[in-house]
Amino acid sequence: MTLAQIADGQLAPRLGIKLDNISKRYGDHVVLDDVSLHVEPGTVTALIGPSGAGKSTFLRCINLLERPDSGTIQVAQHTIQPGKDVNSRDLAALRRTVGMVFQSFNLFPHMSALKNISFPQQKVLGRSKEEADERSMQLLERVGLKDKAHQHPSRCSGGQQQRIAIARALALNPGIMLFDEPTSALDPEVGLEVLAVMRELAADGMTMIVVTHEMQFARDVSDTLVVMADCRIIEQGDPRAIMSDPQETRTRRFLRAVLER
Amino acid sequence: MTWLAEWAAYLPQMMSGLGVSLLIAGVSIVAGYPLGLLLSLMVSTKNLAIRTLGLAVVEIGRGAPALVILYLFYYGLPKFGIAFESITAACLALIWNAAAYSSEIMRAGIQSVPRGQLEASSALGLAQHHTFFRVVLPQGMRSAIPGLMGVAIQMFQGTSLAYAIAVPELMKSAYNIGSQDFNYLQIFTLAGLCYAVISMPATWITVFFEKRMARHT
Ligand SMILES: Nc1ncnc2c1ncn2[C@@H]1O[C@H](COP(=O)(O)OP(=O)(O)OP(=O)(O)O)[C@@H](O)[C@H]1O
Ligand SMILES: [Mg+2]
Repeated sequence: MTLAQIADGQLAPRLGIKLDNISKRYGDHVVLDDVSLHVEPGTVTALIGPSGAGKSTFLRCINLLERPDSGTIQVAQHTIQPGKDVNSRDLAALRRTVGMVFQSFNLFPHMSALKNISFPQQKVLGRSKEEADERSMQLLERVGLKDKAHQHPSRCSGGQQQRIAIARALALNPGIMLFDEPTSALDPEVGLEVLAVMRELAADGMTMIVVTHEMQFARDVSDTLVVMADCRIIEQGDPRAIMSDPQETRTRRFLRAVLER
Repeated sequence: MTWLAEWAAYLPQMMSGLGVSLLIAGVSIVAGYPLGLLLSLMVSTKNLAIRTLGLAVVEIGRGAPALVILYLFYYGLPKFGIAFESITAACLALIWNAAAYSSEIMRAGIQSVPRGQLEASSALGLAQHHTFFRVVLPQGMRSAIPGLMGVAIQMFQGTSLAYAIAVPELMKSAYNIGSQDFNYLQIFTLAGLCYAVISMPATWITVFFEKRMARHT
């Protein structure tokens, strides 16, 4: 069984997402200036760009961890206009559809790995403890951490914690997964474990949006490369094409800086 | 050496006083901490009326000396036709004290829970009450444990105030014994030892918890 099949109970609800004219400011400080992005079902979008470009903010606007000032979000049959009132049913549907993985893992430190993955299933999807634990064990096995089921996160390495966090998000059958620099807090070798899981997920056809500084991952795995700088998307398209022949000088400057690091 | 013999003779009476002290301390903690949690939530809420009420209760509880509150309960409230037995008045005053101090410690504990925990809960779609009671509160309480143990010790020592309204607690027992034989030095030394025998190990345990938690975070 593949990761995505386990994740969505055999029936992959491959979802796309359309974000249009998303703007966000903190006080006078504009962070996102009219950003639009359409993601096709089953594709991987890599989001790169210099620090402070607004990548994290944009990603967090997708599941409304950050509330945009204007714009529309269309996912599955829901259209959400975050600038206006968002009713709690739409918000719940959005959060159920979109899974998120953070740079700092954000596992619940007072729960075992198993409980981290089962507890949200019980509360959000109303699964029984037995159902939830069964699903959690399948996912833990899939990310290679079955033997860590009863350990607390503090007993796991960073790479292990991040894989548990991925399993926790997958357990809720998301149609789309968001990753915000999932390997930035990890040593390079440990990051590879996590990237391997993400590659497998991509190969299974999960719709993914990944903010990353891993250029190799972006080139090999993503279908679309999106470059953000100065609060907007400056370039997007085929990752190999952009990396070998960027159209914007800003992109060229950024790529040179990362690749020469 | 005669002190030791005398102490042994006084011990039964002292023990009954110690029992009363521990009872009052126990009641003030068992009732005061849940109230403290409630107060900490009231103080953190957006609703202005509830927040103001919570703040008033906390600030009076921390700002006024416990003895003043004790007198208000015991001597003041009968003016309004509300009269308590001395031990009840002592418990109520210390409950207020414990609630006020513990509420600040719990509020700090809850606020120390990293933002990422809330974000992860939101991203998972957990309902607010599940996020609070299953994610935030357990972590916040864990970091509040040393502070709460400190308040517990403070409450135990605070029970000596109940002497002022003739509750038969440890100090009262000591005073009674002392006024029979006029051997105040021995008897109050013994009283001090009784407080220390309880408080000091409790302090060590608190320090142990603090160290352990510093290591785990
Ligand atoms: N809560 C906030 N309040 C005020 N300003 C914020 C807030 N969050 C982010 N910003 C600002 O918004 C801008 C974009 O931040 P964001 O975190 O989205 O950038 P990023 O592209 O993810 O950068 P990095 O690569 O460093 O993670 C930054 O200038 C940042 O200072
Ligand atoms: Mg970021």
